[in-house]
Amino acid sequence: MRERRTDGDTTGTERRSSLLDAIRGVKWPALRAVAGALPGAHHSRLRGSAPELSEYRVYRQGDDPKRIDWRLLARSDRAYIRLAEDRAIVPTMLIVDATASMAFPVSTLGKWRLACDIAVGLAAVAHASRDPVGLVIVRGGELRQIPARTRRGIVGEIAAALDATVPDGQAPIAPCLARLRSRLRAVIVSDFLGDADDVRGRVGEIAAAGGEVHAIHVVADEELDPPMRSVLAVDPEDEAVARPFLADSRAAYLERFAEWRSQLAAGWRSEGLSYTLAATSEPASRVVRRVAGVALGARAVPSSVREEAR
Amino acid sequence: VTLTAPLFAWMAGAAALVVVLLHLLAWRRPPRALLPTARFAPDAPMRTVSRAVRPADLALLALRVLLLLLVGFALAGVRFVPKREGTARVIVVDRSLGAAISKASADSARAAFRAGDAVVLFDSVAREVSAPARDSIVPASEFAAPGLLSAGLVAAERAAERLGRAHDSVEVVIFSAFPAAGIDAATAGIRHLWPGRVRAVRAVRLPNDTAVARVPAIRATADDPVAAALALGGPVAGGSDVRVARETVTADDSAWARAGHTVVAWAASLGSAASSRSTPDTAFALTALGGGGATGASAATVVAPFQRLAIPLAGHVVARWSDGEPAAAEQALGDGCLRTVAVQVPGAGDLALTPAFRRFAVRMAEPCRATRPWAPASDSVLATVLSPTVPRDSLSRAAASVGDVPSNSALAPWLLGLAIVAAVGELLLRRERANATA
Repeated sequence: MRERRTDGDTTGTERRSSLLDAIRGVKWPALRAVAGALPGAHHSRLRGSAPELSEYRVYRQGDDPKRIDWRLLARSDRAYIRLAEDRAIVPTMLIVDATASMAFPVSTLGKWRLACDIAVGLAAVAHASRDPVGLVIVRGGELRQIPARTRRGIVGEIAAALDATVPDGQAPIAPCLARLRSRLRAVIVSDFLGDADDVRGRVGEIAAAGGEVHAIHVVADEELDPPMRSVLAVDPEDEAVARPFLADSRAAYLERFAEWRSQLAAGWRSEGLSYTLAATSEPASRVVRRVAGVALGARAVPSSVREEAR
Repeated sequence: VTLTAPLFAWMAGAAALVVVLLHLLAWRRPPRALLPTARFAPDAPMRTVSRAVRPADLALLALRVLLLLLVGFALAGVRFVPKREGTARVIVVDRSLGAAISKASADSARAAFRAGDAVVLFDSVAREVSAPARDSIVPASEFAAPGLLSAGLVAAERAAERLGRAHDSVEVVIFSAFPAAGIDAATAGIRHLWPGRVRAVRAVRLPNDTAVARVPAIRATADDPVAAALALGGPVAGGSDVRVARETVTADDSAWARAGHTVVAWAASLGSAASSRSTPDTAFALTALGGGGATGASAATVVAPFQRLAIPLAGHVVARWSDGEPAAAEQALGDGCLRTVAVQVPGAGDLALTPAFRRFAVRMAEPCRATRPWAPASDSVLATVLSPTVPRDSLSRAAASVGDVPSNSALAPWLLGLAIVAAVGELLLRRERANATA
């Protein structure tokens, strides 16, 4: 992988520090109860012997007699067992698209910088909840993966890997998703200009298996509002796609691009997946908060669901 | 510079202007720019029309404009002609009908001559004086048959066409006595080939068309056969101006001939007017050649044995023996002439009384050509023939042959050749541009 030495390391470090400061304290709970056994910060489907009482349930044959509330049995002569909510961890994998389309605008690499900041921010938030955090960089011709770890310094490692990457080439994201475990939280940071349909099919499988998938759609302002001058627009990933971008075709472009974005968002959301649109003009911290906020909005998991899960 | 068909030049100019405008509105490919979402732009042709203040691709534009202008000016027939100014004249002088008449015409022509005029002299043939000057207009020293006006007009029109390239107008002035015999059927058509003005100046000398027809005077013995034949032949047109001398020609005869009359020296015996043959022999036929002209006389032939004892003096042959040897000849003498007849008429027999010999004798007694009466063309005929009105059927011919501008241009092949070179260059340059933008 080609190493990139940013000429503005100081500026990048300051930007990254301000980002981490801005998202300090942000919680990113799982969208639904997780099935993990390791103690963590997310609601677990398992009911265990945590000191925090959740509810009583009539003792059934097969329950562990140790969990019978003997005092209640003594007072009411009925055998109840104490149920307590377990907390578990959620392995979080950040899949960052580093194909050539992310290196846009060419002068500022705005899309790539925003994707990196979002990934680092989400990694920091997840790591703050003691969740294992990993990274997959999808770049043309190669694939770099950092397994999900909870160790100290994993966020810095992720940030370093991202900073050392220059977006280039063309590569599909779906094959990378196939190698991931099903029960995890996958965050895809991409412009989805590649194999969007295949990705959605794969993440649907992950979601059906109990996983959690977040799609963060990175869009440059220059894509949302292109300049008025006439150019021959060339797709950086496929130079065969060259279209004249003229003043009179701008309206049609905006209409078709907006329609595609709405269809993409509707497709993800129709399958119960999280979709967040991130423009380069928006601070990464706000995007991170919005992604985490989606989870907070869905945090109230009905107890009946948890019961069924048990 | 002049153009045969200016419309083509105008069309070429308009086409060149259109090409320039098209270069201002040239189709061009917009600059490339990376855009990951390019796929959402409508698919359209890669090139687009754009307006510019300065024409695009100046080299290609120059070649195209050059190509159009070259073709246009080649088709327009561009020519370089000298600047025209002034009026030129073609002086046409008739040198026929003898020295006196031609002198009158020449005198008038010399008076009218100006520097720069072209001079054409004609009688039965015409020629243009290469370096015309006043002194180059000289009358004829000898008699000549009535000049052919058609021949003079042809030479004059050639000179006029040449002068017309350098002058605003050209006038043809003809100095002649304008005998009716000099105007033939072709004269009017030839004159109408020249659309310019033709002015006729008639020579002051009046023709001798008032001569009386009578039996010529003959000085001979009483039993002279020629006198008998002439007496039987009847009056001769202009016979009053003819004197037949069957004896020696005298000084009085010569003076009379110089005054414009005809003396026929027909010696009865070997006389001074003719020289003797070295070897006398016998001829068996004799012919007086057809004179034509105003008298309209035809040939007169006598078939009989004649002793050839003498030969006529050198001059214009008017009769020949059957073997072609001259039998009679005439030579100018002053304003008249002396005709020598070297035919010995036998005194015995009736040869002189035969109709054939009578006709021969009458022919020999006719006035000389120089003194023969001739009829001038009437003013109405002259005005009709030399009228500037171009007949409808001759209009196209006149315009085609004597027009100011010839239909072809010497520059056209060169311009077309350059146009082909420009077309090839434009093709190569356009291909290079296409490869560069591909």
